[in-house]
Amino acid sequence: MRVYKISKQDEKKLFKVLEKFGEVWLPVKKGGKCTFSRIYSEDRLTFSQTEICNRPLLPLKKLLLPPEFNTLDFNAERYNRAEQNVPSRVVVGSHACDIHGVNILDKFYTTDFIDPFYRERRKKTIIIGTSCEPDEYCFCNKTNTNIIEEGYDLFFNDLGHYYLVWVGSSKGDDIIREGDDLFDENITDKIIGDFINWRKVNENFFTNDIDFYGVTDLMELKYNDNELWEYFGDKCLSCGQCTMVCPTCTCFNVIDDLEVNKNEGHRRRYWDSCMFKDYSMVAGGHNFRKTRAERLKLWYTHKLKAFIGQFGNPSCVGCGRCIVTCPVDINVYNVVSRLKGQEKELIRK
Amino acid sequence: MKDKPSLGVYSFTGCAGCQLAILDCEDQLVDIFSAANVRVFYEAMSNNDDDAKVDIALVEGSINTDEQQEELKAVREKAKILIAFGSCAHHGCVQAMANGDGKWEERFKKVYGDAEFTVAKPMETRPLHEFVKVDGWIPGCPPGASQMLKALTQLINGSPPTYTNSAVCLECKFKENECLLNKHIMCLGPLTMGGCGAPCPSQNMPCVGCWGIIDEANHASELKKLMEYGFSKEEILRRFRLFGGSDIVDKVSELLEAK
Repeated sequence: MRVYKISKQDEKKLFKVLEKFGEVWLPVKKGGKCTFSRIYSEDRLTFSQTEICNRPLLPLKKLLLPPEFNTLDFNAERYNRAEQNVPSRVVVGSHACDIHGVNILDKFYTTDFIDPFYRERRKKTIIIGTSCEPDEYCFCNKTNTNIIEEGYDLFFNDLGHYYLVWVGSSKGDDIIREGDDLFDENITDKIIGDFINWRKVNENFFTNDIDFYGVTDLMELKYNDNELWEYFGDKCLSCGQCTMVCPTCTCFNVIDDLEVNKNEGHRRRYWDSCMFKDYSMVAGGHNFRKTRAERLKLWYTHKLKAFIGQFGNPSCVGCGRCIVTCPVDINVYNVVSRLKGQEKELIRK
Repeated sequence: MKDKPSLGVYSFTGCAGCQLAILDCEDQLVDIFSAANVRVFYEAMSNNDDDAKVDIALVEGSINTDEQQEELKAVREKAKILIAFGSCAHHGCVQAMANGDGKWEERFKKVYGDAEFTVAKPMETRPLHEFVKVDGWIPGCPPGASQMLKALTQLINGSPPTYTNSAVCLECKFKENECLLNKHIMCLGPLTMGGCGAPCPSQNMPCVGCWGIIDEANHASELKKLMEYGFSKEEILRRFRLFGGSDIVDKVSELLEAK
């Protein structure tokens, strides 16, 4: 792997370089919320964590597979795949956890059954990760997703006056070549020392004391602990926010919308949620998971256990979004806590 | 080409805004009137045929008198398919917010005194399904264009209308809004039927529930959360009742007694 150094003073020049590769997107605060937004060079944002915000409300999947989009235009005679008009994008500011999330989406959408809509967007998206300072909700250190080795094109580690840049793909390398004079290949022992030291310091920022040890086994062993799931089921609002903000939730629904009196229609695809009652309803009206408790159990089993059998890892990346989002505090922390027979809860401030 | 289905739009107690919502679909208006043979639609036409048998009856408004009950039954007899159109017809809407509190007569007297009613006998407001068989509904106060046009198209093409059975929160998250509940604002999004596109929370205004309650609404949990945030039980229940419809009463009184 090649590593470079770039001074923070050169960020503006770097921005110009990135714009040659596509629209530049960054997580920024907009109207009080943190969201991935398109940024222009005149916006004068830097990539450092103090300027951009920490946890975009919707993860990167928002750009790789939009919440809703049209897939097909049809009439009585024929159908055409709807034009997607996917722009080339350079997404800066994803953290290790979110890139792990993208790697999971990649496995899901491009392994056995290739999703053309996902693949097209994914191919046209350059991911430039940035290091981060964990807050009180982050627990990627416990899910082993705090360090990222693949899935990004470039990764910027913020070491104060400069970034230490990891190159993760040939596209990343292209960017380095394009901005040749900005990147310094000379990585001194001093820089290496700074990096190791920074990493140690950064690890100390984690305060979330979630105990992930043995969680997969516990999910299996306590699978029939109805009391646990009913406790959460009684609280659950079935609002589906957890699945929307989760970087690794992949479910969607497809629906045909017809135009009045035109004999034509559109096939729309949108994010669905297993927290909705209709999600598990099948033809004939039978519902596999009528109760909220059953649906929550499904979600957490999928995240913490079932995904391992399918893809080798749990599909929780420790981003903390469920903790900051669920209005009634049903989240990985609290579920794990109850699984361990404890009653301590992590409540969003 | 198959015959065009006939359509009637009928109105009972309400603001007539649901009819207006159809007229508001200016871009599709010609399509609607070309796709269906519109026989009754007082807000849109002058040559209405009240006696016409229709394939599809869209009925807005709630039932507030004995006379309306009879008129509704007559519409039912004329129509192959009867759709409760909008919140009033579907669940009673705002005029049902105090339903079941046992004080209807007291309130009625306060407004009308001892006036004698000769035309029709007034009563506590009720939704359509309490009097006639309702084949489907289009929610909203008033219904939103996209959902209404979709339902109309389905009906015109001979299939039953489909519903959004997810809470407002789904579309609210699509718009990437921060949850207002988490900001300690009394938002009824999680209890309310979606399909509206979450326009209110997108403008930082809490959802008041105007599309009616979703099947899976968990009033008890939201009540508990809002009380933790310092709202009084009375103000929360009042908000629940606002668009909660005529059936909310049992639910609310249950919650009143609990805790």
